[in-house]
Amino acid sequence: MPPLTYLEAIRQGIWEEMERDPAVFCIGEDIGIYGGAFKVTDGFIDHFGPERVIDTPIAESAIVGAALGAAFTGMRPVAEFQFMDFIGCAFNQITNMVAKAHYRWGAPAPLVIRGPSGGNVHGGPFHSQNPEMWFVHAPGLKVVCPASAYDAKGLIKASIRDNNPVIFFEHKYLYRRIKEEVPADDYIVPLGKARTAREGHDLSIITYAAMVHTALEAAEMLAKDGIDIEVIDLRTVSPLDREAIVQTVRKTNKVILLHEDVRTGGIAGEIAAIINEEAFDDLDGPIIRITAQDSPVPFSPPQEEYFLPKVSDVVREARRLKAY
Amino acid sequence: MARKNNKTKNSRNGSNHKGRRSPQEPASNPAAAQRSYTIPDYRLEKPNFQVKQIRSGDEVRYEVTGDLSAPVPPIRDSKYLDKQQCLEIYRWMLLNRKMEQALENLYKQGKVVGGVYFGLGQEACSCASAYALGPDDWMGPMIRNQGSLLVRGFSARDIMMQYMAKAGSPTKGRDASSHFGDIERRNVVAPISTLGDLIPVLSGVALGARLQGRNIAVMTYIGDGGQSTGVTYEGLNFAAVQKLGLVLVVENNLWAYSTPAEMQFPIKDLAERAIGYGIPGVIVDGTDPCQVYDAAHEACERARRGEGPTLIEAKMMRMKGHAIHDAADYVPKPLFDYWRKRDPISRFENYLLSKKWLTSQDNQKLIADVDRELEADRNAAVASPMPEPESAAGGVYCEEGCHEIKPKYGIPKAGVTKSKPATPKERETAVHLK
Repeated sequence: MPPLTYLEAIRQGIWEEMERDPAVFCIGEDIGIYGGAFKVTDGFIDHFGPERVIDTPIAESAIVGAALGAAFTGMRPVAEFQFMDFIGCAFNQITNMVAKAHYRWGAPAPLVIRGPSGGNVHGGPFHSQNPEMWFVHAPGLKVVCPASAYDAKGLIKASIRDNNPVIFFEHKYLYRRIKEEVPADDYIVPLGKARTAREGHDLSIITYAAMVHTALEAAEMLAKDGIDIEVIDLRTVSPLDREAIVQTVRKTNKVILLHEDVRTGGIAGEIAAIINEEAFDDLDGPIIRITAQDSPVPFSPPQEEYFLPKVSDVVREARRLKAY
Repeated sequence: MARKNNKTKNSRNGSNHKGRRSPQEPASNPAAAQRSYTIPDYRLEKPNFQVKQIRSGDEVRYEVTGDLSAPVPPIRDSKYLDKQQCLEIYRWMLLNRKMEQALENLYKQGKVVGGVYFGLGQEACSCASAYALGPDDWMGPMIRNQGSLLVRGFSARDIMMQYMAKAGSPTKGRDASSHFGDIERRNVVAPISTLGDLIPVLSGVALGARLQGRNIAVMTYIGDGGQSTGVTYEGLNFAAVQKLGLVLVVENNLWAYSTPAEMQFPIKDLAERAIGYGIPGVIVDGTDPCQVYDAAHEACERARRGEGPTLIEAKMMRMKGHAIHDAADYVPKPLFDYWRKRDPISRFENYLLSKKWLTSQDNQKLIADVDRELEADRNAAVASPMPEPESAAGGVYCEEGCHEIKPKYGIPKAGVTKSKPATPKERETAVHLK
């Protein structure tokens, strides 16, 4: 098998699920003949037909509402958002109608809302955001943020098979940048389970999505200085793998929380609280957050570079923490 | 405008608009072509009055102007309902009203948690519309459609327990009022408090059924206030584009909480909105169950034929405040007087009596029967326990084995399988964002 890009992995995952289960269908804007703005569903309409690859009006609330209604009849819709920045248009449907359905009246809502998020592509304030925390704060939803091609395929398949609504954030910076060998056979990556992206003993970096690669790059540089970094890729930010978080803190006793999302209200704050509650005595230094600044994502490349967490930030903070 | 051309009949395919050149215009004159649209209006009266804000001394209040003296129109004979069906609808309407009276009493006794929302004056619309649905069809109620929930198979006890936040309520205490549903047997989607959000969801139900090879009717409601929301547009437009079997009952009850319809939209009839969606729209008297049923029945049949959505505007008035706390003092008194004479239940009762489909003896028996049923339901609901505090926990997610999810109407049509996914095209991708 040739190595697959992150984008191809997602696409194969959806394709295989549609072949496996006729209840799976795609709905979204420009996903049919055009194949989607990023071509994730390229060729789907020819293969599966326009009944199962549905182009919609530009109406995000209608897309989510329709996906939910179809899910109530036993379908498993996969709704594409052209950019996850636009998910605010469907906020009420997602947080009030979809997320609360099972708790309020016992109606399962097996739907996936997926699309590209994230910056470092010079997309500006409306094509670069990381809005995952809006949904982490809405009980009833699962929030998935894969970092690798292997995970992207396994997680999209697990998301489609899950009986709960899943918001699946695909990092657009990774779409065609990373490639890896992905098994041809059917596999899933379970939701809610983190992975150790790199084993280490001196300190842990807990992160997800594109920042996993930033952390790994920093770890390679730090290794030359004899600093041995462990990198934990959360894979799913809701539900959080609390056990994996606590375990790595117990192992290295020092932790950096890294994310591309803005600082205030980012998942780092939540993880710091979990560590405080469950592994306070294991800490040998302060919990350090490395995040984007609290601002919209700026457009101009120098500004965006300033905004985003960088390898150099991680290296600097890791050295500082190691010295504790 | 639509009403000026109501002689034009609907074309056979259900489309209600036609382009035509005015015969006076010579072909050489490039004047704008005139288009005409038709909106069938089944009402047997055409009320003509308006609510306005006026300043009166130190205060600004609402005043009604126009003719409020028209006599009460008769009930329009149904094209479809027989005697037995009319009597059933009448019974649902009675149950709807009397249950709300019981709720009002429970509230006054301090047994209700939160407020009570009434459908007083709207019973014909709720009950007769839902009565047009078949067992495989779906319905999503708004807060005042408690009658629709009764018709759909929930009991007065279910609704009372919702209002009293009891452990045995359909949501086990987790939500209030009409906020409950049942996707397994009764095909009812639970509403949320924000308005218009059921419209795309019910459209999606129709989409799901169609993917499983069935065209069904899916009915939901929106008010003169709720129709202002963006999701109303998104949902109805989506249903129209996809030709999904949505039956949208626009309940124009003249008041959105305290804001009159005149301050929600400038057109006279909300049914005209249908023209903009490219779907049929009709107007009915929402206090006449026969008109409501006939329009709903035709819309459901159209839905089941796969011909797409219909907008039904039902005109009536909300005869109480927004909820029990609201005395509705802002409503001009003459409006209450006008609509009180058009009370859907007494009008339908008189209609059935005058047609001799109901004797006053049978009527008394029926009323006593409804009272008895309600009394039993009320007692059972009152006596039932409140939930244990810990029952607030759990159920946020559908855990392994909690529900079996399978297509409701049959195996969906699978796609052709001729190829493996090719490598996606690099061209035309949003490469500037790579």
